[in-house]
Amino acid sequence: MKGAPTYTEQELVGLLKQRTQKAFSYLYDHYAPTLNGIILGIIQDHEVAGDVLQEVFVKIWRQIEQYDAAKGRLFTWMYNIARTTSIDMLRSRDWKNSHRNHSLTEDHAELPDRRTNYGEELGLRRIIQTLKDDHKILVELSYFQGYTQEEIAGMLNIPLGTVKTRIRAAIVLLRQQVKL
Amino acid sequence: MDIQAYIQSGVIESYVLGIANEQEVAELQRLQHEYPDIAAAVAKCEAWLSQTLPSFAEPVAPPDKEKIWAALQEPAAVINKGAREIPMQPAGAKRVAMPARYVAAASVVLLLASAAFNIYLYGKYTKANQEYLGLLNERTNLLSDNKIYQTKLSTLQENMQLMTAPEMLKVTMPGIAGKEQSLATVYWNTSNKKVYLMVNNLPAAPAGKQYQLWALVDGKPIDAGMLEDCKNLCPLKTIERAEAFAITLEKEGGSPIPDLSQLFVMGKVQS
Repeated sequence: MKGAPTYTEQELVGLLKQRTQKAFSYLYDHYAPTLNGIILGIIQDHEVAGDVLQEVFVKIWRQIEQYDAAKGRLFTWMYNIARTTSIDMLRSRDWKNSHRNHSLTEDHAELPDRRTNYGEELGLRRIIQTLKDDHKILVELSYFQGYTQEEIAGMLNIPLGTVKTRIRAAIVLLRQQVKL
Repeated sequence: MDIQAYIQSGVIESYVLGIANEQEVAELQRLQHEYPDIAAAVAKCEAWLSQTLPSFAEPVAPPDKEKIWAALQEPAAVINKGAREIPMQPAGAKRVAMPARYVAAASVVLLLASAAFNIYLYGKYTKANQEYLGLLNERTNLLSDNKIYQTKLSTLQENMQLMTAPEMLKVTMPGIAGKEQSLATVYWNTSNKKVYLMVNNLPAAPAGKQYQLWALVDGKPIDAGMLEDCKNLCPLKTIERAEAFAITLEKEGGSPIPDLSQLFVMGKVQS
């Protein structure tokens, strides 16, 4: 960024489609730490997050032709790739094998509201520190662990409508609290 | 529809963050084409996201940039090689399966080959088993023959001991006139007075008849025992005193008085 040219999203998409090293270098320098924050927020493991980050860049690189500016920002598109790739890793056999002690029930035991070491949260997960507990659980399960609203309703034994309402309320609160 | 309530419900944030369900996504994509306010709210939320997330950025180790660039240069198929990546598809899912009929044909061929081999082996087994049973039978026969010979040999040895004992008196009984071919020998133990008969040559006794040994004591014949089916030295009665021995053919079981017309052999005791 220091003295280097800055591109608009539109210009960057054009550069990426040329697949030059310069385009990659710009993309990496400007987005890798932010994407890594998204990935680490979900994975909470630097080593695994490094593998996921590489996969995210591979997907961006190979699927840039499929990006449609009419459907949203390039950043939102890349953010979604980072989040879904991270969730996929959480669901993968490799991850489950290397984190066997984290069974479903133990995941509940590790929900942020019961953790004591909030200060050690990595990346985007720090965003939920300010939420109250019943909202925190819902954001944890839906956003950071990728469960559907139906699954969460079953896990917490509360009505689906309540899950939906609380998730939306929690996100609105997050957006209001986190302002630049 | 209350557009403002919809915009403030949080569904737009859910959509942008990627946690809205399919129904919510479909609804929002339809509504943002109809209502510019909703489209603007979505764009505003996307802007919020792109401005907020960098605050939660995490530094990346410098070598990662070169590593990722190298990965991008690889052909698509080997991108994930070596990395602990998510398996895109179950291992082996794309393996081309051998057509079922080839598998079936191969199975039949293997089955037939196996069956033929089993028949061949069963034949060999049956033959070997028969040979084994034959050998086993032969061995049993040889063993029983061996026992018979051993018994005969020990009997002969006993007989030899008796015949050569110093107290044994040998009385040779040659055939009388007209029966010169006949010959028998009495062995008489002079200490315990037991009489043994050795048949050297006598015609086979006709049915219902039996040879009887007589001892002549003071000119009178005394029964000295019947000749049973005895091939070697046959123990008969105990005779205290005798001048001569003779054998006659009598009715089965013996007679009190010898039929002298049926006298075969006779021998005097040499004192």
